[in-house]
Amino acid sequence: MKSRIECQSRGRKIEEDRNRMSWKNIKLVFLREVRDQLRDRRTLFMITILPVLLYPMLGLGIVEMMLTFSEQQRVVVILNADDLPADPALLDENGIRKSWFEGGEFDTAKLRVLAERAENPSLAETTETDIAVSIVDSEELTDENRISEKKPSRKLRRGEKTDAELFSAAYVLADQLEQLKEITKKTQGTAATESKNAAPSIDITETETKVAELATAQDQISQQFGDSGFQVLIIIPKGYGQAMEAMQNEIRTSPDAAAGMVATRVPPILVVRNSADDKSMVAFGRVQKALNSWEDSLRKRSFEKASLPLELQHPARLSWIEVAQQEQVSASVWSKLFPALLVIMALTGAFYPAIDLGAGEKERGTMETLLISPAKRVELVLGKFLTIMLFSIATAVLNLMSMGLTGQQMAAVMGAGVTNTVSLEFPGVSPLMWMVILLIPLSALFSALCLALATFARSTKEGQYYLTPLLMVVMGLTMFCLSPAVEMTPLYSILPVVNVTLLLKGLLLNAANSGHLAVYAVPVLISSLGYSMLALWWAIELYNSEDVLFREAEKFDIRMWFRQMLRTKDAVPALPEAIFCFILILMLQFVAMTYMKPDLSIGDPGLTMMRLIVIQQLTMVACPAVFMGVLLTTSLRATFRLRMPSLTAIAIGVGLAIVAHPLSLELSQFLVERQVFPELPESARQVMTLMKAGEKPTWLLLLVFAVTPAICEELAFRGFILSGLARGGRLAIAVGVSSLMFGIIHMIPQQAFNAALLGLVLGLLAIYSRSLFPAMAFHFCNNAIAAFHASEAGLLGTDGVFFSRDTDGFLRYETPLLILCAVGMALMIIHMVKVVIRDQDSKRRGLVPRFGEVLDESIDTTLSARTLESIATASKTQSR
Amino acid sequence: MIRVQNLFKEFDDPRSGIFRALDDVSFEVRPGEIYGLLGPNGAGKTTCLRILSTVLRPTRGLAEVDGINVVRNPEGVRSRIGFMSCNTGIYDRMTAWEMVEYNGRLYGIPEEKLQARIKEIFEVLQMNDIRDRLGGKMSTGMKQKVSIARTIIHDPPVIIFDEPTSGLDVLVARAVLKAVATLRDQGKCIIFSTHIMREVEKLCDRIGIIHRGRILAEGTLPELAEKYKQPDVEELFFELIERRDDEVIGAR
Repeated sequence: MKSRIECQSRGRKIEEDRNRMSWKNIKLVFLREVRDQLRDRRTLFMITILPVLLYPMLGLGIVEMMLTFSEQQRVVVILNADDLPADPALLDENGIRKSWFEGGEFDTAKLRVLAERAENPSLAETTETDIAVSIVDSEELTDENRISEKKPSRKLRRGEKTDAELFSAAYVLADQLEQLKEITKKTQGTAATESKNAAPSIDITETETKVAELATAQDQISQQFGDSGFQVLIIIPKGYGQAMEAMQNEIRTSPDAAAGMVATRVPPILVVRNSADDKSMVAFGRVQKALNSWEDSLRKRSFEKASLPLELQHPARLSWIEVAQQEQVSASVWSKLFPALLVIMALTGAFYPAIDLGAGEKERGTMETLLISPAKRVELVLGKFLTIMLFSIATAVLNLMSMGLTGQQMAAVMGAGVTNTVSLEFPGVSPLMWMVILLIPLSALFSALCLALATFARSTKEGQYYLTPLLMVVMGLTMFCLSPAVEMTPLYSILPVVNVTLLLKGLLLNAANSGHLAVYAVPVLISSLGYSMLALWWAIELYNSEDVLFREAEKFDIRMWFRQMLRTKDAVPALPEAIFCFILILMLQFVAMTYMKPDLSIGDPGLTMMRLIVIQQLTMVACPAVFMGVLLTTSLRATFRLRMPSLTAIAIGVGLAIVAHPLSLELSQFLVERQVFPELPESARQVMTLMKAGEKPTWLLLLVFAVTPAICEELAFRGFILSGLARGGRLAIAVGVSSLMFGIIHMIPQQAFNAALLGLVLGLLAIYSRSLFPAMAFHFCNNAIAAFHASEAGLLGTDGVFFSRDTDGFLRYETPLLILCAVGMALMIIHMVKVVIRDQDSKRRGLVPRFGEVLDESIDTTLSARTLESIATASKTQSR
Repeated sequence: MIRVQNLFKEFDDPRSGIFRALDDVSFEVRPGEIYGLLGPNGAGKTTCLRILSTVLRPTRGLAEVDGINVVRNPEGVRSRIGFMSCNTGIYDRMTAWEMVEYNGRLYGIPEEKLQARIKEIFEVLQMNDIRDRLGGKMSTGMKQKVSIARTIIHDPPVIIFDEPTSGLDVLVARAVLKAVATLRDQGKCIIFSTHIMREVEKLCDRIGIIHRGRILAEGTLPELAEKYKQPDVEELFFELIERRDDEVIGAR
């Protein structure tokens, strides 16, 4: 009994500080969740053991593979090697001479070069005959002892071809190439005669057959090459060496005469490769390097013989100097790897615990236990959030550390073996510090987001489904950031995920010289924390929503759902319907971008564009909203707020537009000058010039740029969408979200920003006046003033105090005027907010608190009608 | 102790638009009394009890626990009630002791008192042998014991049992019922929902028969028998339910 009294007194104490958050409870929940997660073998494995063991093991595996399975030898066949000039010699007894390769021994080991020589007549004769493998084995020894003396007893691997087979394939290929050359010659010949005779009718069929022949020949060749077993074929033309020598002599004796003949005298060496085949390309790459250096040497010899200055070889005298230091080279590796890994690991590290803490708790039935404890929802959410964040950070840090150390170790082990080694030196202390600092807001964002999604999910399985889209979006953003061309801009610094990734990339890439990036650290941190707060707030909201907490898995039948939607109409649209309307408009805009490109070449381009704007407004903004309104609501008047507003409301609408214009113009100019937003794209500038040109009549300009958007956009955004959003009773959120949507629909960042700001005012105006007309008035005036401003109507003179003109002759507003406007705007907004709050209060007063506040008088009537009905039925049943 | 007056609860339903789970429900429960809420599945029992435990909010009407409104001060209500149902699970990776301790701490019981209280409860419910066993390795009966311990750890004046015996084996069910009776004898105000007639007859001081969101009859068993001239509770129950079904279908 005693403890009961205590309990009661404690209860009273709770009542006193019910609005205070208890850190004790948060800590309690946090500690429990952490302990719970640590006891879960799966989580522990995913988060600690996997990264700690996985990377070293992966690294070890890779090193092992690199060491044991070095690159396979590729086969290069050289036909008619005897005709190569003796000095400088391309080949030695082991194939291509080591000195021609950059990597020396390393490269030669990767190529198996078979050179056909006259001293080896047996090979030349076996062209057409198939040789049994048993015979070849012995033969192979005889010719192998020339080509690779080091390993004379080398056994052929499975599927590997003998030298004889390779040579015979090479001969066939050489023949086919010869034929191809002839066919090509013939085809070109006919084509030439055709054009000369100008009588194509006769020869068309002949040409066609020639072309077909050519195609088959080409097919055959690539087929033969694929089957041949070698990756590169080099054909030295007959008499190449002599021709070369002759040319060199000729240049020496009579340089003038030789000039024209060189090309014809020395036939080209054919190098055959298949660029679609990786193996062929690898071999070709090596061969090409060797041939190039051989050619350089050959040229040098020729120059010497002709007693020309050697400098002629490199007339431009280019010389490259490499300034990248070792740490920068490694930095560029890390700068690509670390941000991506950090983002992905922070997300996965958050996701699995989040599912367990959110959906898992629901599934096990412990959620209800938790909800009936006196801990507040905020405390529960924060406790869980901190747990998830801890695991997210731990996962990311462990992964990065393990991977970094493994990379370093691997580089050290393999350093000798790889030709162009990059030292994977760990980034310095300051980039690592930054990484940890930036990891915190990133993890916070992911943790809150994952917790919200996991709370929303009915089961852990459903929760898993949400990972894929989330991961895809995040990966997409990360990949975008990793492309070398993308650099930090003010706009990117406030985009979620992108900002952190870009900042990290920049810092890792150029650790010593990152002063200019540090400027961005503040907006990045602030905006990231802002996004995490938003996501956290969402999670708390979900914990307060009984629909979400007690969602039961129900059978979903699309037909039934559709019928239901049409049958149970309300006065105003439901929340999903409003969101769908927005998505519909957005999709239509997207489609319009590709299919409604104006053809400005026909007729008056200005008129065409104006027509297009009107059509777009009517069909893609107004139509969906009105159509959905008719179909899905019972009261168009309530949905679209078609009520007569008070004169004050209209006056406020017009007045606001007048004071808002200078402010919004100067703000966007300010932001453009500071390069927060990119320049306007071409299409938008066209519209601007259209307005500026002043050749169109004023009424037309007003109709296109002011009247149409004012009606269409207001119907959609302050009508259908805002009515749907505001239905939940959270007016501030409804206005905020609707203005965000209004901004998004404007696509171009600069306009979107402006529109979103004006959308806030418009939303407030609509809620305040309960009518769409003041918002329309505002929208009309705002656009009309903007149009006049752009068309340079010169309504106002410039006095230098309030107005001025910039270098382009645009009217600009000076600070005193802006202050006046800001004061006027603030006063009007405060007035409206006051009225809205008063209305809300009076509505709430006297009513029993109910779930889902009533917003609009029209819903009031429907609800009360429903109540009356229920009372009627109740009395009926009682009387019975 | 518990006061429910003209309580309505409506849910959005994809089929018929709005589903009224509670339709003008009123009743009262006094300390030292077990009030049995008797009704078939889907009658609105759980909705009603969830409103009392503040996890659902009423659409309209009044619900008070210990004089505190469930909408205005849900935290205050939560610290005064214990809630147990067949759905309230326990954590798999926590031992019985930790589980009860965690809940006690959430209720803000001072540490020394809490330890003493847990010891006492573990003695009374004979749980000392499962003290260090993880939830995942317990049998249903053990889990139910832990649930009861968790429910009464803060010695709440009001205890809500929502079908606590459903899905339990007979022995465990009997133990649970015994525990409920003991709690009543301690002067708790108990509300007990079930669809099993035997439990009502054995345990409840007063019952309310609920179906389709409405209380159809209320009173002690002898009172009901007299009022409806039907000594068999089971018969009475089915009669009332059928009558209500006809009514609802007729109204459509």
